[in-house]
Amino acid sequence: MTAGPALEVKGLSIKFGEFTAVDEVSFTVERGEIFGFLGANGAGKTTTIRMLCGLLIPSSGSALVGGLGFADGGKGIKKIVGYMSQKFTLYNDLTVGENLDFAAGLRKLEPRYAAKRRRELFGLIGFDRPLNTLVASLPGGVKQELALAAAMLHDPEIVFLDEPTSGVAPASRARFWALIRKVTALGKTVIVTTHYMDEAEQCGRIALMRTGRLIALGSPDELKASAFPGPMTELDFNGSAPAAFLENLEKAPGLLELSPHGMRWHAAFKDKAAMEAALAALPAAASCTLIKPSLEDVFIRLVEGVER
Amino acid sequence: MNQTLKAFIKKELVQTLRDVRMRILLFGAPILQLTIFGLALSSEIKNIKLAVFSQPGDTAAVRLADDFYSSGWFKPALFSPGEDAFELIGSGRADAVLIMPPGGLGRAAGRSEGKMQLLVDASNATKARVVEGYAKTITARAAAAYGAPPAQALSFDVRVLYNPAMESALFLVPGVVGMLICLVTIILTAMSLTRERELGTFETIVSAPLSDGEILLGKTLPFVLLGMAVFVLVLTAAHFIFGVPVRGPLWQLFLAAFVFIITTVSVGTCISTLARNQQQAMLGGFMFLFPAILMSGIMYPVENMPPSVIAAAYLDPLMYFMRLLRSIMLKGGDLHVFWTNVGALALMAAFAAGLAYNRFRQTLD
Repeated sequence: MTAGPALEVKGLSIKFGEFTAVDEVSFTVERGEIFGFLGANGAGKTTTIRMLCGLLIPSSGSALVGGLGFADGGKGIKKIVGYMSQKFTLYNDLTVGENLDFAAGLRKLEPRYAAKRRRELFGLIGFDRPLNTLVASLPGGVKQELALAAAMLHDPEIVFLDEPTSGVAPASRARFWALIRKVTALGKTVIVTTHYMDEAEQCGRIALMRTGRLIALGSPDELKASAFPGPMTELDFNGSAPAAFLENLEKAPGLLELSPHGMRWHAAFKDKAAMEAALAALPAAASCTLIKPSLEDVFIRLVEGVER
Repeated sequence: MNQTLKAFIKKELVQTLRDVRMRILLFGAPILQLTIFGLALSSEIKNIKLAVFSQPGDTAAVRLADDFYSSGWFKPALFSPGEDAFELIGSGRADAVLIMPPGGLGRAAGRSEGKMQLLVDASNATKARVVEGYAKTITARAAAAYGAPPAQALSFDVRVLYNPAMESALFLVPGVVGMLICLVTIILTAMSLTRERELGTFETIVSAPLSDGEILLGKTLPFVLLGMAVFVLVLTAAHFIFGVPVRGPLWQLFLAAFVFIITTVSVGTCISTLARNQQQAMLGGFMFLFPAILMSGIMYPVENMPPSVIAAAYLDPLMYFMRLLRSIMLKGGDLHVFWTNVGALALMAAFAAGLAYNRFRQTLD
């Protein structure tokens, strides 16, 4: 394992014809980090990851993955990273053993070494079914764990997981995240994309992407503090919200964000004074509670939010 | 051999052969098709209804008619004297009408003059050609019995020469073999590649540190092997079910098949680079297959096609393979025919493989 950060990305861009899919993205990821990419579909998360796996050559900018660049067309990078794409990575019509044998063949792993790695990884993911089990017959969560094992068969330093838990049951999602933490405990770096806010909370740092640009970067707490410097309240009108009040609130000076959350509303303000002024006319039946902003609030404010 | 290539071969073979439906499609269907094609076509040209119009007392004509009816191909059509020959054919009561010379066949043959006329229902052109061929064979035999010089009697076409029994199965089975190999390799290759892209498993393959050539070879070589297996199987079946001979050397047969399959697998690869999903790959495969089969000479002789189509037929790999199969299996594999056609096929294979490699590389990103 070489020294230095796992990823060092500077001004990374890629264009497909006229379309700029990833635009001047810069960040650094230290070894052993869980680094998350958060963003809507088409924000450029997958494209960024595919470049960092050596699958796409950047149009401009530089990226060092485990200290390696793109001079050899990405082949060196491919050797030291593991990639689990968001679609199928295992063949449903092959058995567990056949899938892992093929993964070993793709990486030209020596059979004895591959068998040793397989045992280690089965221990890591807690897989104890027979090797001749058809992958199609496995539950979704187990399939994803096995896909991770296949992506790590060649013992990569850095593991890229593109939406590894989409379509997986909540209990299995929690199991998978426990597994991700185990992987980083082994000294590996994990880069993960997700749609789930609760998963993003578990990342060491998060990069928020919108339309190919990196719009925020930091730990979940840092992101919350920078997106919402002032207080945030949850308004409960105990029934439907009075339209007139909401309309006034929307225009209130110092309001940063107003968004519906089920029957309740979240309102964030620049500072305490702005909040008190805006909520002076709060109907008697309504209650307001100070809350800590969630990542979802951050996401709404930074990615989908209206510019104020 | 390269470890990655071995892993690919094992994986593709297991994937293709694990599915029962796929096994049936690969090995059951060709045998079934072979049988149906062979049997349906060979029964169609038996029981040809023939009416013989002759003068009363023309014993030579009666003998010739007997030759026809005892050949096993013809049976007498039912008609009453004085009926119109065209009417007979038009109403479908006769497939062919043989009209003897007005002065009687015996006299005409003795003096080498007078004409015998054969009317054939050509609404089915293939059948008409077969009927014509039969009639030529029988009358030639009869003419020889009369001592007429063979050159003067009738001219044969190539088919009669190498398929003297005029068994259409003998002639068509090599065609069916070629068609099936074409179908299996093109569709299978195109579908398999497209499926990987569609499901997303292709991402995992390209994320491994492999060269483009390794990936392409890994995804195509298994289908070359499968194609060869199907070829051996269909050939064996053709030999034992229809008694189709293999008169030429086996090495010619296998070399021809190998070069042909490289071409078709490359075509399948090109199709997969254009198709977005498996349905498109399947349809694309058929869009290539149908013209390829029609222009190959399996069903209609290439020589009978309009010049523009003949020009296109020379770009049809199946046509060369067809010529090779017929030449090797039925005629004993003339070396000149072999090398010219294998050479043409090899050129096409090289071009198709190059195009496939180029297209494939472009779609890797």
